[in-house]
Amino acid sequence: MSTIHLENLVKRFGPFTALKTMDLTIADGEFVALLGPSGCGKSTTMNMIAGIERPSEGRILFGGRDMAGVPMGRRGVGFVFQNYAIFTHMTVRQNLAYGLRATRRPADEVARRVGTMAELLQLTDLMDRPAAGLSVNILQRVAIGRSAVMEPAIFLLDEPLSNVDAAFRAVMRTELKQLQRTFRQTMVYVTHDQLEAMTMADRIAVMDHGVLQQVGTPLEIYNNPANLFVARFIGAPGMNLLRGRPVETAGAMSIDLGELGLTPTLTPEQSAAVRAAKGEVIYGFRPEQVSRGLGMAMPVNFVERIGARTILHLGQGKDVAKVVLENDAGFETGKDLHFLPLPSAVRLFDAASGIALRGH
Amino acid sequence: MTRSLAFMSFRYAAILLAIAIVLVPVLWMASMAFKPIEEWQATGADLTWIPRAPTLDNFRYIFGRSTSDLIVTLDKTALKPILASFLSAGIGTILAMTAGTSAAYGLSRFGSGANLPLALVQLRLFPPMAVMTPVMIMWAFLSFTDSWWGLALVYGIVTLPFAFWLMKTFFDDMPKEIEEAALVEGCSRGRVFLKITLPMMRAPLASAALFVFILNWSDYLIALLLTTKQWVTIPVYMASLSSSMTGQLYGAKAALGLIAAVPPVVLGVLIQRHLVRGLTFGALKQ
Repeated sequence: MSTIHLENLVKRFGPFTALKTMDLTIADGEFVALLGPSGCGKSTTMNMIAGIERPSEGRILFGGRDMAGVPMGRRGVGFVFQNYAIFTHMTVRQNLAYGLRATRRPADEVARRVGTMAELLQLTDLMDRPAAGLSVNILQRVAIGRSAVMEPAIFLLDEPLSNVDAAFRAVMRTELKQLQRTFRQTMVYVTHDQLEAMTMADRIAVMDHGVLQQVGTPLEIYNNPANLFVARFIGAPGMNLLRGRPVETAGAMSIDLGELGLTPTLTPEQSAAVRAAKGEVIYGFRPEQVSRGLGMAMPVNFVERIGARTILHLGQGKDVAKVVLENDAGFETGKDLHFLPLPSAVRLFDAASGIALRGH
Repeated sequence: MTRSLAFMSFRYAAILLAIAIVLVPVLWMASMAFKPIEEWQATGADLTWIPRAPTLDNFRYIFGRSTSDLIVTLDKTALKPILASFLSAGIGTILAMTAGTSAAYGLSRFGSGANLPLALVQLRLFPPMAVMTPVMIMWAFLSFTDSWWGLALVYGIVTLPFAFWLMKTFFDDMPKEIEEAALVEGCSRGRVFLKITLPMMRAPLASAALFVFILNWSDYLIALLLTTKQWVTIPVYMASLSSSMTGQLYGAKAALGLIAAVPPVVLGVLIQRHLVRGLTFGALKQ
């Protein structure tokens, strides 16, 4: 069994707390991405799962078995490092065979498994080349192969694609997902790239400042961010967040956004949540989920063409928003753009705590 | 980039001057090593770069055969001092490198012996000579004086800080992920060190060892104090090359100097590939 339970995991480095608290259960055969900005504690979490770091507090269980005191070589995990960690004094073949040799498998088995893995990763032609001097793309393939050939029940990847070039990254995203489908390992994938997390993971665990912010499927995280950090961090560009005061007129609740005026009325569920929260709220909506038409008016400040769509940066100072439109959408820089968030796209957050006000 | 002619001429003139300052004495020594006594003597008529009558007499002389009536045969040939230098410098280097590498690895990876760097800096803060007299007394008590092993031990201790500091820098620069990768795959710590770390550290090890060896090989003062007769090293032996009739035997000294220059040069050439490669770990994105 290769479920992973993290219970009240804490990691301190001297006075610095890298991981404040972490509770996470990863199912057998699941692909979970740990996503967050640099220094959010995701790599620390990963190193503790692998046994490279020892937790300051809390427990790590693999299939119910406490891993405290189990050395990293006996945990049955594969680990792919961001910087490949290839043994440059060996050939590609020796690198791939390294783990199997270290655990003293018979020679014919080593040859067979190394051969299969080489074929899978298209390394067959490079087997007898010294690892020093191969391109980073190849090195990362070798590194993945060297771990995967051990057929670990748990496969840990720490930003494996952050150093390879963009085209190869796209190829590897698909290949890694297929590798995982083939071997059905439990996979934990650390990344700061939401595209990698979104495309590969069954579930994403978003982290910031050593705290787990939200766990959910890619769509859950995108559609219903649990707090302001997730709302800002997920999506490119992130969610628009405007501060306002709830006002109730004739039983209909809407948000007074100050100079931007009143928002359309909220749904009854949202109204109830806002009423219960009391105080100021943050009115959020995705830049992709807007319609043109009378509603808000904000001046077009800057235009970003990203190819498939066009991103407009609206407003200045504290009231800013972005909208994503078709390339042929009509607008004029400097002039007001009239738009309206789709009713189903509106998300509300408590301004004081940053927590999502659910009820939609 | 094009530079003015004046700048380029100045540049090459400066380089030539620097090379000349370094090389002239060395070439002079090489030339002198092959000159017969009449030519290298201070009273010799005119000095030439190329020996007029090239001879191997100087080499024959230091290995025990006098070829001139002017100088008497040596009672001690250069053979034993060369052996003494090899043994003391070689074993000293092995001692320093073994202890230094182990200590550096322990500190770099596990932070064990955190006071060691300071202690070893202290060892370098005062010249070895400051403690040589006490060491001489200790060595005399242990009957280590005038022996290659006594000298090797002192060399190992004196050059240990160099070995330690060089190796520590190298270990610090080597990414720990490489070792962790091997550990995760089920390799023991000891095996990782022997099969992964050391082979990958070949270049730094070779450079550090060469540096330490040259330090030991060229020592004069310690050998002068700790050896007297049996196991004097090349530098000490060289100083004793004089005769009552002709004074300093420059020809013989030059010949011995040429021989003494061989091991560092040969080692340097052998590991040149490593020296050039230095610390570029192709394994990782820098």
